[in-house]
Amino acid sequence: MTARWHLLMWPPLLLSLALLVGSQSIFLRGSFFADLRVGRLGSELTLQNYWRVASDGFYLSALWLTVRLSALVVVFTFVLGYPTAYILARMRSVWAPLLLALLVATSFVTIVIKVLGLVILFSPGGLLNVSLLWLGLTDQPVSLRGTEFGVVVGLMYFTIGFFVLLLYGVVRTIPRSLEQAAQLLGAPRWRVFWRVVVPLSLPGIITSALVVFNLCMGAFTSAALIGAGRILTLPVLIQRTVMLDARYAMGATLAAVLLLCGLAINLISILAVGRLKAARRVVA
Amino acid sequence: MMARALSGTWLALVFGFMIAPLVVVAGASFGRGGRTAMIDFPPHELTWQWYLAIPGDQVQALALSISLALACALAAALLGVPAALGIVRGDLPGRRAIAALFRLPLQIPAVVVGVSFLQLYYIVGDVIELPLVGSFWGLALAHLFIALPYVVGSVVAILNRFNMRLEEAALVLGAGRWSTFRRVTLPVIMPGVFAGAVYAFMVSFSDLPVALFLAGQGFVTFPVAIFQSLDYDFSPSMLALSTLIIVFSFVVMVVVQRSIGLTNLLHTGGAG
Repeated sequence: MTARWHLLMWPPLLLSLALLVGSQSIFLRGSFFADLRVGRLGSELTLQNYWRVASDGFYLSALWLTVRLSALVVVFTFVLGYPTAYILARMRSVWAPLLLALLVATSFVTIVIKVLGLVILFSPGGLLNVSLLWLGLTDQPVSLRGTEFGVVVGLMYFTIGFFVLLLYGVVRTIPRSLEQAAQLLGAPRWRVFWRVVVPLSLPGIITSALVVFNLCMGAFTSAALIGAGRILTLPVLIQRTVMLDARYAMGATLAAVLLLCGLAINLISILAVGRLKAARRVVA
Repeated sequence: MMARALSGTWLALVFGFMIAPLVVVAGASFGRGGRTAMIDFPPHELTWQWYLAIPGDQVQALALSISLALACALAAALLGVPAALGIVRGDLPGRRAIAALFRLPLQIPAVVVGVSFLQLYYIVGDVIELPLVGSFWGLALAHLFIALPYVVGSVVAILNRFNMRLEEAALVLGAGRWSTFRRVTLPVIMPGVFAGAVYAFMVSFSDLPVALFLAGQGFVTFPVAIFQSLDYDFSPSMLALSTLIIVFSFVVMVVVQRSIGLTNLLHTGGAG
C-alpha cells in the first residue's frame, strides 16, 4: 500500500538533481580553466584563477568588504531586531497580531521597491537631508548611493523583517513563568532580560545571526542598486565580471569562493549550536 | 508604566523605519515633480498624472514579471506536492538526505544561480539548438529551481502533522484511493500548498540577479527595469507602478491571513 508513494517523488527529484548538478558542475569546471576574456576559456586545467583571487589585492579587498559590511548589518539588525522581537512576543494587547501582520506584509514587499524608496528618501533635496541640514546635524547632504553606509542600510531592509520573525519564534518558546519567577525573587527587569531571556535565546540568536550574515554575503539587489557600481561586494563583482567584462572563468571562480564562504558559515553555525547545547546539558 | 511607554516608543521607531521607504514611494507617486528633480516628496500638490501615463514598456515588464511568477508558483506547487508526499510517505531509506537535497538550492546565492544557469543554458543551447537565454521558459525554469524548496518545505511540514486516521476512515467507509486523496488529503494539505505557492510567487517576482543574467533584448522583468532606470532614465510612473505593487502585496497578505492564517506562511520561511 505505502510502497508506491515514493514513485511520486522521482520526477521532481530528478528535475531538481539535473538542474543542480548540471548548473553547478558546469560553472565549477569552468573556474579551473584559464580566463582568455571575451567569454573564452583556456584548454588546460589550472588553479591560476583561484591563485589570482587569493593573491590579488583587488579581489581580497572585495571579499573583505563583503564580510565587513555583512557583519555590520548583523550587528545593526540585531540591535534593532532583538528588542522588537522580544516586545512583540511578550505583548498582550490587541495590537500584537496587527503588528505581526504588518511586519509580514512589509517583509513581503519586494526589496527592489524598498530600495527605490530609500534612494528617494536620501536624495540630496529629499525630506531627510533637508531636515538634517535644518537641524544642523550635518553640513552636507547625507548620500546613500555609492556609499558603504547606504549599502548597509539597504541590506538591513533585506534582513530585518526576517530576523524579527525568526527571533519572535525563539522568544515565544521561552516560558513567561521563568521571567516571573526571577522577578518575584527581586531581580529588576533589565536583569531578568539579561540573565534569563538572553541566555535562553542564545542558540536562536546565533543561528539567526548567521542566517542574516549568509543572506548578506550573497545579497545582490540592495548592494547593486545602492552601491551604484562603486561599492563592489562579491555578488556585485561576480555580476560585473561576467556581464560587463565577459570573463566567465574569473566570474565562476568568484562564484565558487562565495559558495564556499556560505558553506563554511553553515558549518560554523551547526558546530556552534551543537557546542552550546552540549554545554547546557553539562550545566543541567 | 514606564516600561510600556518605552516599548511602545521603540516599536513605533522600528516600524517607522521599516515602513518609511514604502510611504515615500507611495507619497512621491502622487507628486507633480519639482523644478530640480522629477521626484517630489513630500508632494507639493497631488496629482494622478503618473498613474495615467505609465509607458507601455513598463507595463510590459510588469506583465512579464507577473506571468513568470504565476508560472513559477504553479509549477512549484505541481512538483512540490508529489515530492513532499514521496518524502513523508515513501518510507525510503535516506529520506532525510533526500529532503536535504530538495533544500540545497536555498544554500546557493542567487547571483551564483544566475551565473551557473547562464553557462548551463549556453551549453544546452549549443547541443539541442534551443535558445534558453532571454526566453520566458529559461527564466521560469531557473526561478522554479529556487522556489521549489519552499513548496516542498511547507507541504512536508503540514504532512508531518497529518492525522493518518482521517485517510483510514475514508478508506474504511469505502472511498477509493483517488477520491480519498482528493477529498481528504488535499484539503488538509492545501494551506501548506498555498503558503508555499505564495512564497514561490514572491521569490520569482522580486528576483533581480537571476533575471539580469538570463534576460535578453526586449525581455525585461520589472526589477530589471527598475535597475536600469535608476541609472539612466528614471520616471515617476515607475513610482506609480511600485505603489500599485505595494497595495497588491498588502492585499495578498490580507487574503493569506483570512484564508490560511499567517502562521502557515511563517512556517514556510524556514522551508521545513
